[in-house]
Amino acid sequence: MFPTEAAMEVSVIGGYLGVGKTTLVNHILRNASERIAVLVNDFGDINIDKELIDASDDSTISLTNGCICCSLVDGFATALETVASFRPPPSRLVIEASGVADPGAVAAYGHAPGLALDAVIVVADAARLREQVADPLVGQTVVSQLTAADVIVLNKVDLVDDLATSHQQISELNPDALLIQASHSEVSLDLLFGREVRKAQLSNSHIGEFESRTHESDQPLSRKALETLINELPKNIQRVKGIVRLTESPQVPMVFQLVGRKWELRALADRSNSPEGNQLVAIGPKGSVPTDWDRTLRSKN
Amino acid sequence: MSEARLKIFTAKKIITMNPALPFATAVAVQGERIVGVGTTEDLAQWGDHDVDDQFKDHILLPGFVEAHTHVMAGGVWEFPYVGFYDRVDPSGQTWSGCRDIDSVVERLVECEGSLEDPEQPLNAWGLDPIFLQGERLVAKHLDRVSQTRPIFVYHASGHLATVNSEMMRRSGIDRHTPTPGVAKDAEGEPNGELQEPPAMLLAQDGFLSIGAAIMSSNAKWNYAREARNCGVTTVTDLGTTRLAMEGQLEAWRDATDDPSYPARVVVAVGHFDFGGKPKESNEMALLAVRLRDEEETAKLRFGIVKLVLDGSIQGFTARVSWPHYVDPPAGHPGNGLWLIPPEQMADIVSSYHDAGLTVHCHCNGDEAAQVFIDAVETALEKHPRWDHRHTVQHCQLTTAAQYKKMAALGMNANIFSNHIFHWGDQHASVTVGEERAARMDACATAEREGVRFSVHSDAPITPMGHLHTAWCAVNRLTASGRVLGPEERISVSKALEACTIDAAHQLKLDHDIGSLESGKLADFAVLESDPYEVSREELKDIAVWGTVLGGVPHPADSE
Repeated sequence: MFPTEAAMEVSVIGGYLGVGKTTLVNHILRNASERIAVLVNDFGDINIDKELIDASDDSTISLTNGCICCSLVDGFATALETVASFRPPPSRLVIEASGVADPGAVAAYGHAPGLALDAVIVVADAARLREQVADPLVGQTVVSQLTAADVIVLNKVDLVDDLATSHQQISELNPDALLIQASHSEVSLDLLFGREVRKAQLSNSHIGEFESRTHESDQPLSRKALETLINELPKNIQRVKGIVRLTESPQVPMVFQLVGRKWELRALADRSNSPEGNQLVAIGPKGSVPTDWDRTLRSKN
Repeated sequence: MSEARLKIFTAKKIITMNPALPFATAVAVQGERIVGVGTTEDLAQWGDHDVDDQFKDHILLPGFVEAHTHVMAGGVWEFPYVGFYDRVDPSGQTWSGCRDIDSVVERLVECEGSLEDPEQPLNAWGLDPIFLQGERLVAKHLDRVSQTRPIFVYHASGHLATVNSEMMRRSGIDRHTPTPGVAKDAEGEPNGELQEPPAMLLAQDGFLSIGAAIMSSNAKWNYAREARNCGVTTVTDLGTTRLAMEGQLEAWRDATDDPSYPARVVVAVGHFDFGGKPKESNEMALLAVRLRDEEETAKLRFGIVKLVLDGSIQGFTARVSWPHYVDPPAGHPGNGLWLIPPEQMADIVSSYHDAGLTVHCHCNGDEAAQVFIDAVETALEKHPRWDHRHTVQHCQLTTAAQYKKMAALGMNANIFSNHIFHWGDQHASVTVGEERAARMDACATAEREGVRFSVHSDAPITPMGHLHTAWCAVNRLTASGRVLGPEERISVSKALEACTIDAAHQLKLDHDIGSLESGKLADFAVLESDPYEVSREELKDIAVWGTVLGGVPHPADSE
């Protein structure tokens, strides 16, 4: 497991009604290789295989693979408290926003103590996107959701012959988000969560194969070197994330995140377990991440 | 077993709200119910009785019925008040308004001095910075109150809080805190203002205790005391998912079963997003039906489900039709927010409608009202049901065409007339513009188009008080003193109907309360002056002696 900045990374899943959010949550739970806690509005919809369910009550379902699913019926504060009480603690929190919620607003909860927001993932329906964006009642809701996304999962591509319209629509609304195409909400969880790709994971022809390469170094990096890295990054690299130290303030560990063409650099909130030096991971389709992807970080500043 | 002895209350005047006998001077009560209304001579036919003339100089009305408030109105009084306007607490004490930052600090210093445990956080409520001149209240001002005790000041809007440096220290809020809504100064240091729940939740000790306050027994008692103090005998906690939580029904029962608990309470079950499933799998519908069929008592009633479809007009989050808002803040997307997907509304409404429940839906904007009205029509087409009384709550921008449709579908309206006074000036200048502001909260249109309606305070959003709420509907005066939309003013008698019999109808309780006549519950509002004798402008200033609930007098400001 690649070091992360906090006990729990947070992924928010948004998107309008019927785009496949719940299917994505099911896909995540079924394929989880880490201990994931999922917050959902209604787990009547979460169609978990019976043999996967370990125990359940009114507001929580425990799965045999270590994942848990909590209802948001009593609000975020209560659900977060429930999640925090689980031992061992989950390493990732996935929040499924409601079909009309602004996932950007939900993501604000992703910075509560012990949590660190990873990405806002918005699912779009390739077959209905155009119609939904043009809808006089909900068009603005759909646009706001897509605009808030770091990752857009363009789902149900198998139902559509011409994807050009959807692509154009998305690139007009949010050209910087990482766009992943999917059918039945099947996406690479490594790419979705920005984590090191393990060889053990079986490839899936729908999802495609991914690879990751890491960068580790001891000396603080210059801001310029990072900017050069971003500017010269091979475009097949879809996510880079990790913790770095900058020459201007080497004592403050910084979180670096690049998703699609969006990137951010911010001070680490919880510094109790931060690694020394710099640790970054880059992820892209198999065969597309050059071994020297981090050369600008290795050159003398 | 002997029956309770007959008692005849005499009064200077009794306004019955029963059109068959509008005025009287005596009401005979046996136990909790009215035997008859008329004169002492008329009522003597019922036999031996005692005469109680303590109200001989008072005016009696049916106890007011408030069909849209929240138990939070009682919960907030767990904490000191630091709002701009004077406000009366449930014990009848007036908290003077804090007109500047210094008076806020002074109030908090006073309260801080009375706390014994140095670790106990100091929480306060009601701050409304838009009224305070000069600089904004921030952590450094609250640090003058204490540098060792955490302080959390909850704003009147419910969207913001301001905390002191000690609260930030204990909550780990510093310049590196990435949560949106943690306001920072020019140097990048947090200034103590926390905007929206994700930021407020960082200051857990404060935010969670405000939320927890509504669960307490004290909140339920203060809620009823506040109602009693303004002549309200039936009050509605409109929408809570907490009834599903263990112990909450019992807590309501414990309070309302107490003979001295001074109000009847209708608790509406809050809809929660279950995705518009049929009633068999809609847990909230099952809960609401069970509560209605098995758990009702004399002072605790159920049967209503509350939905919230859009946001608020003053927060620019209500769904308002084109041309939307006049002057929204920078970055505003143009229209408000949906809290339920519009295309799910028909299924959701049907699921409660089919279960025989009454649906009350929060619709501030007209676009939201239209979606709800259409959903009711669809539900009725699939499952015709007479006298459902589904109600548009707030109903602020509902148009004449929509009122016509509501009348045709048998719907009711609960109109937020207090908005005219509190935010009317802002609605004319920055939210919906002069023309639509003049016809918002359109009581006269509802009356003209034949929609039965009540009016409400949404306490604690605005203070509970049906004389004030009726005054708003009758005069439509704004805070700045202008008349906003004179054509939408209604008569005093229509406003009194809205506060009594028509509110009772909306809650499906008009067979039992809302007017004074033989057989109904002996619930009275006891007033010091006659609403028909004072000038229209003075309606809100009529003093309230208290109430009579089920035949038992409850003077205002008592324990």
